[in-house]
Amino acid sequence: MTAPRRLRKELVDLQESSLKSFRDIKADDDNLLRWTGLIVPDNPPYNKGAFRIEINFPAEYPFKPPKISFKTKIYHPNIDEKGQVCLPIISTENWKPATRTDQVVQALIALINDPEPEHPLRAELAEEFLKDKKKFVKNAEDYTRKHSEKRPAD
Amino acid sequence: MADGNSQAAGAASRAVNGGLDDNNPNQAGASGVTAAAGATVAGAGAINASGSSSCSTPSGGTSSTSSGNGNQGYYQLSVTIEEASLRNNGFLKPNPYVELLVDSKSKRKTDLVKNSYLPKWNEEFTVLITPNSTLHFKVLDHSSFRKDAMLGERVIHLSHILHHYNGQCEFLELTIDLFVTSKSDNRQTKSGELVAILNGLKLDMSKVVQLQQNGGAAVQTVNPVVSDAAASGRSCMIYGGVRARMRLRSNNAEPQAVTRSPLPNGLPSEQRRSAAPPVWEQQQQVAQPQQPLRLVNGSAAAVPQTASYPQQPPPPAPVQVQHRPVSQAQLYANGPMENGAQAAYMAAGGALEQPGCGAGIPVVNGTDQQLQTQPAEDELLPAGWEIRLDQYGRRYYVDHNTRSTYWEKPTPLPPGWEIRKDVRGRVYYVDHNTRKTTWQRPNSERLMHFQHWQGQRAHVVAQGNQRFLYSQQQQQPTAVTASVTQDDEDALGVLPDGWEKKVQSDNRVYFVNHKNRTTQWEDPRTQGQEVSLINEGPLPAGWEIRYTAAGERFFVDHNTRRTTFEDPRPGAPKGAKGVYGVPRAYERSFRWKLSQFRYLCQSNALPSHIKITVTRQTLFEDSYHQIMRLPAYELRRRLYIIFRGEEGLDYGGVSREWFFLLSHEVLNPMYCLFEYANKNNYSLQINPASYVNPDHLQYFKFIGRFIAMALYHGRFIYSGFTMPFYKRMLNKKLTIKDIETIDPEFYNSLIWVRDNNIDECGLELWFSVDFEVLGQIIHHELKENGEKERVIEENKEEYITLMTEWRMTRGIEQQTKTFLEGFNEVVPLEWLKYFDERELELILCGMQDVDVEDWQRNTIYRHYNRNSKQVVWFWQFVRETDNEKRARLLQFVTGTCRVPVGGFAELMGSNGPQRFCIEKVGKETWLPRSHTCFNRLDLPPYKSYDQLVEKLTFAIEETEGFCQE
Repeated sequence: MTAPRRLRKELVDLQESSLKSFRDIKADDDNLLRWTGLIVPDNPPYNKGAFRIEINFPAEYPFKPPKISFKTKIYHPNIDEKGQVCLPIISTENWKPATRTDQVVQALIALINDPEPEHPLRAELAEEFLKDKKKFVKNAEDYTRKHSEKRPAD
Repeated sequence: MADGNSQAAGAASRAVNGGLDDNNPNQAGASGVTAAAGATVAGAGAINASGSSSCSTPSGGTSSTSSGNGNQGYYQLSVTIEEASLRNNGFLKPNPYVELLVDSKSKRKTDLVKNSYLPKWNEEFTVLITPNSTLHFKVLDHSSFRKDAMLGERVIHLSHILHHYNGQCEFLELTIDLFVTSKSDNRQTKSGELVAILNGLKLDMSKVVQLQQNGGAAVQTVNPVVSDAAASGRSCMIYGGVRARMRLRSNNAEPQAVTRSPLPNGLPSEQRRSAAPPVWEQQQQVAQPQQPLRLVNGSAAAVPQTASYPQQPPPPAPVQVQHRPVSQAQLYANGPMENGAQAAYMAAGGALEQPGCGAGIPVVNGTDQQLQTQPAEDELLPAGWEIRLDQYGRRYYVDHNTRSTYWEKPTPLPPGWEIRKDVRGRVYYVDHNTRKTTWQRPNSERLMHFQHWQGQRAHVVAQGNQRFLYSQQQQQPTAVTASVTQDDEDALGVLPDGWEKKVQSDNRVYFVNHKNRTTQWEDPRTQGQEVSLINEGPLPAGWEIRYTAAGERFFVDHNTRRTTFEDPRPGAPKGAKGVYGVPRAYERSFRWKLSQFRYLCQSNALPSHIKITVTRQTLFEDSYHQIMRLPAYELRRRLYIIFRGEEGLDYGGVSREWFFLLSHEVLNPMYCLFEYANKNNYSLQINPASYVNPDHLQYFKFIGRFIAMALYHGRFIYSGFTMPFYKRMLNKKLTIKDIETIDPEFYNSLIWVRDNNIDECGLELWFSVDFEVLGQIIHHELKENGEKERVIEENKEEYITLMTEWRMTRGIEQQTKTFLEGFNEVVPLEWLKYFDERELELILCGMQDVDVEDWQRNTIYRHYNRNSKQVVWFWQFVRETDNEKRARLLQFVTGTCRVPVGGFAELMGSNGPQRFCIEKVGKETWLPRSHTCFNRLDLPPYKSYDQLVEKLTFAIEETEGFCQE
């Protein structure tokens, strides 16, 4: 099976690289097509919490890109209420079979740390981000406190 | 947990009861495609005895409905009567006008239009209505001498429309089928269509009291949802013969003087409806306690179906639940069902553990427990669903209702849908919104496709009348004095299956096809090849190829300033005659190819005729049974189509309509037989999931026969297939380019592999692949032991070839083969070989008059502007050329010769709406190129009009698409 073989390797590599901002990576009880992991952002207002994401790989991976969704609620202009995220690296136009999941995750972490209000999924948050940064930061911090997961101890 | 589950079960069964509808038992039974039809009847329990009359009685419900208006508020509604198209059934043209009655009173009349079957009135009336009013439209023929005659009428129940559009009537366009009742036998026949606009009404449906309909079930409206179709402006069926769609506001200068507020004295009363009792008690197995399931060890783990249920219930063909006559139509009880169903999902929340499950597998897995912070609704499953792990610990979802399994997490059924079981215990899905059933669980994408399909309905017939090809007279076998190449005995190898070579008494050789009982002079092995195998060497210096207005090729010798039809190249046969004794240039023309094909059709015609009698409502089933019952070759007899209840002589018009309607029906995406190529390419291809229907191969054979009939009888079908599908019909090899049109993402990846060094980027590709169909992962080895062979730079070419082949055939081989068999039983596939795939689309779908104004208006430019001389020349060419060239130019750039129903503004590319675009690219020596995914033409900056015409003509006629990208 093509996809699992590649995914197994990617999974092991990713687990062994022990990234600080992406942890607790596991495939779904041997279903290699579904991974979960914990995003641990560095930048405020998200640096007080951690966010669980799910990565779903299509059977045709790597010919088709994976899909990412947030399982933890997050107050972020680029992530909508359903946890969907728009990440250029995995869009139809940009996807390349050589793109590796760690690159995708790095792009995601960068997006979390530095929102891109010019390409928002939630326009109202983008507006707040641009017009009233203070309020945005406060809201996002409150939201993070209320909904996010505990950051790992180390 | 157990408690929550039983609540869920209760809620679900209530939902089922509430949502039940009395499908017309007679019609459903008659449809007979499958046993599910019977199940529908059985499921309904009560048989509505009055359901047998197949036509509606529009005036039936009027009085009883209007009687309840007493305590309701009145509102203003603007009704604009736009136009009608009336059936031509008299000697003289009528002088039609429209009468509008609200609740059988307050008569309003339009002016009369003289001598017309297509009257346009555009008159606006403001009427007072209640939410339960009826609107009675009557189209009458004014006569100075006698009583005005009824041309057609229809009663519309406003409540249906309000219900459907959540109380909003703003620029709502209704297309209403009109009926006349015959005096002799009270039979109703469709007599035309009326277009009216409702506007200026906005009600809060939660405050509107719905009336008890005469039949039984009360309608509840709790938070009615504006359907997708309503929101997006697509047309949807309100009920049989009444279609509605929201018009865009910008749409021309409709009279729009509108008062929105209800009259001051007419505030709607705030009565809350009491929950009506379910109409029938229904034993549904939905959400009943589950029987324990076993996991069978050792079977292929990739197929959870077989793992958990030794017997996968094979569902049969889909059945169309009939539109019932309007007078009996009760409103669908969407409200209670929807809410009940939601309640069921809520109650089932977290109730993942099934008490009856003795399988001993931990159901809630570790990941879930750690994800406690995630939103609760994430792991909600519909009632009767369960998460399980297979023997490798992989998660999958079991639907105990249907005894099927999925890899994907289930989404709740959309509003108005219900799950049912037929007598054989097979599960199917009922859509009460459209009164249809289907085997496949609906999801949002499939529904979107269905709505798209349904939206076309209103336009199907109108479109049919717009399509054309050359008239038959022009194609008399002028060129067919064909002398046949009868040499080289069997240098060509064996004849295709079913063919035999014979010799006439005068020693002339001919060929017999025993499969479809046809004969011909041409050798089927070389048929059509003379046309495509012309060897194009370079022209001598100073020579140029040009085309006459008729598309005939000629040669210009600039050295001597002379022109000739004779090809100056040394290899070209002198005399400019091709194999068929006609000028070679002509031999290449589409017209000539068509005449060859038509000649074969005519020379293999059979005497007498066959009758096919169908009812509109059961078009698919009726046609299927009659076409499959006949020996296939008989389908070449003259067709005589009869629509029941509309007896009239078929001089071609009726069968034209039949082909068009049936083709649209057959391609209904809900039948799962065909699917749209992707979300922006509305060409059709075989659906790999069609195997869910155990009779699917029979249906593909039927469709193969039907398509052959369309070609043979020179009729058009509504919408076309994908280019790769046509290539399969022509037995052409599919290339990597073909993937692009149907799966751009996959194509891009494959191209990336081709164009990059893959040895150092850890692709981990092997000669084996997976794909998913209906939640099941299917593994395929591209070659023997492919699992063990890694793809590297050296062998990647082979890999790409194998992948291309697999991508284009995966899951549809058997279906394609059967389709082609069905086709070949009626018409030899070899006859198609004159054409290329694009020409095949043209003869199958016909051409359309292209609205050049609209085209130009909706075209954008890159590195050119609208005044660039090349652009001006381009439009000059488009205007001056004929329809065939225009169609082919369009096909060259957009991939299809069909224009979207809404005109060029609605042209779609692979990433959503994409206008026709002309971009300046390259040098004048280049040929134009196209990017069908983006509807873009790369037009080099040519130096003259003539040069542009020549290059463009060459590019669009060159069939292999080398200049297409």
